[in-house]
Amino acid sequence: MKKTVVLASSLCKQYQIGDLTIEALKNLDLEVEKGEFVSIYGPSGAGKTSLLNLIGGLDKPTSGKIVVFGHDLGTYDEDFLATFRCAYVGFVFQSYNLISTLTAIENVAFAVELAGWPRERIEKRSENLLKLFSLEHRANHFPAQLSGGEQQRVAFARALANNPPLLLADEPTGNLDVETGFEIVRILEKMKVEGKTVIVATHDERILELANRALRIHDGRIMGTNE
Amino acid sequence: MSEISFSIKDLTRRKFQTALTILGLTICASATLFLVIFGNNLGFEIAFLTIGGRLTSGFSNIFFRFVIVVSLLNIFAGAFITSFLVYMAMSERVRDIGVMKAAGCLSGSILGYFITELSILVFLSCIAGTVLGIGIYYFSINFLNFLGFSVSQVLSSWAVLLTFLVLVFVSHVFGVLPIIKAAKVKPAEALSPLYSLGTTFKLGKSVPSKLGFTFKVAYRHLVRRKFATRQAIVCLAVVLTLTTVTIAGGMIANQTTTNYVERAIGRDIVLVGHPNLTGRYVNLLSQFFEAKEMESINYLDPDFLISESVASTLSNISGVRKVDSRIVLEASVLEIPGIIPDPNDPKETIIIGDSRSDKALILGVKPELVVNEWLIMGRVFGKDDQKSTIIGDSLALEMFDDAQNQSIKVFEEIFDIVGVCLDPLNNGKVVYMPLNALSTELGQSGYNLLFLKIDPSKRLQILAEIENELSDKSLEIVELNETLDKHVKFLNNIWSLVMFLPLFSLVTATLCLLSYLMLSIAGQQREFGIMRALGAKPRSIMKIVFTQALLITLVSGAIGISVGLFVTFAFLIPEPIVSQYTLFSVAGWLLLALSLFCLSSLYPAMKAVKKSVVNALYSV
Repeated sequence: MKKTVVLASSLCKQYQIGDLTIEALKNLDLEVEKGEFVSIYGPSGAGKTSLLNLIGGLDKPTSGKIVVFGHDLGTYDEDFLATFRCAYVGFVFQSYNLISTLTAIENVAFAVELAGWPRERIEKRSENLLKLFSLEHRANHFPAQLSGGEQQRVAFARALANNPPLLLADEPTGNLDVETGFEIVRILEKMKVEGKTVIVATHDERILELANRALRIHDGRIMGTNE
Repeated sequence: MSEISFSIKDLTRRKFQTALTILGLTICASATLFLVIFGNNLGFEIAFLTIGGRLTSGFSNIFFRFVIVVSLLNIFAGAFITSFLVYMAMSERVRDIGVMKAAGCLSGSILGYFITELSILVFLSCIAGTVLGIGIYYFSINFLNFLGFSVSQVLSSWAVLLTFLVLVFVSHVFGVLPIIKAAKVKPAEALSPLYSLGTTFKLGKSVPSKLGFTFKVAYRHLVRRKFATRQAIVCLAVVLTLTTVTIAGGMIANQTTTNYVERAIGRDIVLVGHPNLTGRYVNLLSQFFEAKEMESINYLDPDFLISESVASTLSNISGVRKVDSRIVLEASVLEIPGIIPDPNDPKETIIIGDSRSDKALILGVKPELVVNEWLIMGRVFGKDDQKSTIIGDSLALEMFDDAQNQSIKVFEEIFDIVGVCLDPLNNGKVVYMPLNALSTELGQSGYNLLFLKIDPSKRLQILAEIENELSDKSLEIVELNETLDKHVKFLNNIWSLVMFLPLFSLVTATLCLLSYLMLSIAGQQREFGIMRALGAKPRSIMKIVFTQALLITLVSGAIGISVGLFVTFAFLIPEPIVSQYTLFSVAGWLLLALSLFCLSSLYPAMKAVKKSVVNALYSV
């Protein structure tokens, strides 16, 4: 039996910048099932990041509903959303968003420390993940001492640290060269094989080809689906 | 684009940051200026008391030293904090500098743009701070006068100008540093979202895992932002030195001066003498807090004399612990020059002194029966010291170059000065000498005043017995406790006024910490956004901010409080008197100050988590 992980209905998101109201999402409907690999593509400002932010519980909709793992995210307070993000969602950002004051291994450990794992388990998990992403030799380096590709791999390791059932990635190869981008594509491919639910906002053809579904988003609406 | 128009546009574009910086700087500048001019005013008040014939030179020295040290520390702390806030504000401009360099802007032009911006910020804040500081000053003086103090308004324009110039100068010096540093950063580095001026790649000491996640993140953040953290610690340490000096120094100095007076006058002392003479003595004692014109009197009038038998009878009353029989009179004294080693050439000697003369109160006392326990620089004289005197602090400071190395001429006889005592009697213009020597000089035996130290638990009974013994004589008894209480009240009033300074220092320090945290948190918004995106609850972020404030406060507290206590005990108060109660009070106040500092971090922490995750995440 298929299980719905993400359900968005009549989803609207508006931003107010001074007197200007920007409609990022307009009555958007979306359903993502468990184990699906969904890509979202479209021009800049189309609403990709806004949609990922709403799915991840980083932001709340102006109207409409966004239900993720059975939780109507628009109705919860910030404390619950924080717990939700920690337990269910792994985030990867275009600009890596590593915490500059923590080393690579501390960045990876951060998410699981929030989850309250015991010390030894945190250390083991962080080391294993860095090894998995061939970063064990960079464990004690700060983000500013890592290359773009290395930073993005640390970001992936951090996103997977809690073993979240949903991975959200916003242009994960956007800041990387072709060669380094391949490493990220291979990581995503591995996740697909493992049956993890993945939603990626991207322009990268290689990722689009990897997806079960590629949604074209334009002006805050889903304009088409390639399966 | 001209430097001025670029700077103005840039500052108005970054409204929030500009307002925050100007606000922080204005608060610091106004508080510093207020404390300096208020301190100057207090100094004037104390000088006025001394010149007006009240407060002995020794006491006013203690007050002066306190006000000068606090005022100097204030201006030092104010300049430090102001410059640090400028540094913080300018550190945030590194990325903009990187963009300008990447676009081909020359380093010289960049320096010109940002130094102009710095000047606008500093001048605006210092002008606003000066106006606000003067306003607070006038308000405070009126408020204190409303409360019953009598403080004159003496606004020193040179103090205002000097403070303004120091703040502007130091802010420029410290503000230019990050601009020069940032101008040297490679454009690629400056443009990196991970680059932050003054950070280090060193790991620092590892944090024990048992201390927890919040502590580790907070500690790491402080270690990584090494330069800003070090600056913050230095700033707060200076502020806490000031706070310690004002709180601990103020309270200990208050207790010490009160104790000096109590010891000099003596508690539970009953004065016995002819009404004219006891009244005269009380007036002379009250000069300390109430200057009075007095007519001349013949102290040796035969009616005033008390025989040995009366003294002996009174000493036999149960509960009378000691009878200090004295001859008291006013006379002119002359400074006798002394010979001391030449400070420039220890093999040679020089003559000090100017043969000055002054009128003083001469007291012939029996050394072994003296009821006073003055604070003495030097020593008391003993039974066999026939040619020795102890003189009061005002006489020593006004009439002698180095009293203990000089002599004094009383009634054609020269006496060595073996000690200088802090004594409110006749405002410190007193000479204590052996009774035998004085009697010989005067050619007269007997006494004119008796000082009885009594057991306070049997006070009424003793007083009744004394009255009974004196019923057939023209002598009266006066309890000196009432006069002593007036002295203590007078000292407490002055200290209450002086302690207005620490109150403001504390508020200033808190506001400065608040400004620092606001700027610091504004710089960490994005990182907090990342942490929250990963699942950190708002509470966790607040804990991290609070822990950062706590760590900075504890480290700077340890430094500042130690230095403050050292300054207090080493420079401010000679022979401090510290009771257990005072120690607990000082510890309590300092703890309160530290708690206030830490609690002040809650407001910026709450501001930090109020921002939505998305806004925090994408803030630059």
